[in-house]
Amino acid sequence: MPELEFNEEEILSLASLGDRDAFGQLYERYVERIFNYVYYRTGNTHDAEDLTARVFQRAMNHIQKYTDRGVPFSAWLYRIAHNLVANWHRDRSRKQEIPLDDLPILPTKGDHPEKNLVRSQDQDALLRMIRKLPGERQNLLILKFVEDMSNAEIGAIMGRSEGAVKSLYHRTLLALRDQLEDQNLFLEGE
Amino acid sequence: MTKRKQTVTPEEKLEALESHLAVTLKPVTPSKEIVQRLRERIHMPARDEIIMRLSDWRRLFLVFGGVLSGMMLLITIARAFYYLVGRRDPM
Repeated sequence: MPELEFNEEEILSLASLGDRDAFGQLYERYVERIFNYVYYRTGNTHDAEDLTARVFQRAMNHIQKYTDRGVPFSAWLYRIAHNLVANWHRDRSRKQEIPLDDLPILPTKGDHPEKNLVRSQDQDALLRMIRKLPGERQNLLILKFVEDMSNAEIGAIMGRSEGAVKSLYHRTLLALRDQLEDQNLFLEGE
Repeated sequence: MTKRKQTVTPEEKLEALESHLAVTLKPVTPSKEIVQRLRERIHMPARDEIIMRLSDWRRLFLVFGGVLSGMMLLITIARAFYYLVGRRDPM
């Protein structure tokens, strides 16, 4: 299949004029990344699918309002996703639903398929701890590790400076380390 | 992650934690069914369809550009011809 040539500026200007094919290209480019973010924030594929759809619906309805003021389009999309996830968590806490701690296993990229079928107890324990962190810290870890973003890119999404992101990341690591120690779990190097 | 006596330095612990985070928080691939359902839900054309429409649009643009260039060339030749003939006629 031929690759789409992607000039984001051009595509964005066409999409903001209501060109659905142009928006379709943006969708193709970002759908997996947004799904990943929402999947790790919600902990289940059903809600991840629902919220990802809502992110793109909202983006499509408001794309005329997007203007590049130093914030890339991807950051704008992640902010929409972040707001929808925050609303989703608020609704769930109001309804007092039981939190879903165990993420269903989806195939990860770059691994042998058989390796994907099991997640170690270590990983499960760490995931549970991550999901108990404040939302902002969860965001940071997901954007850093899942989305492989730099501190500057994360800062653009979270509305913080690069230094503030670096500092928050360090505090998050310390908090996780303390939690592990509280539970008498110690990490060994890879 | 195992229960054992603490023999590592705080820095080593953080490095080990980062390694575990990198292994645990890996990008996932949503199933084709999920991507398809999402596409249908937000009424997005399929990727192949977009590529086909775009290549059609590009072809149309090339044809239009070609026709326009041809017309410009013809006009230039006609003007040059008219200029040469027009200068010769009064004599």
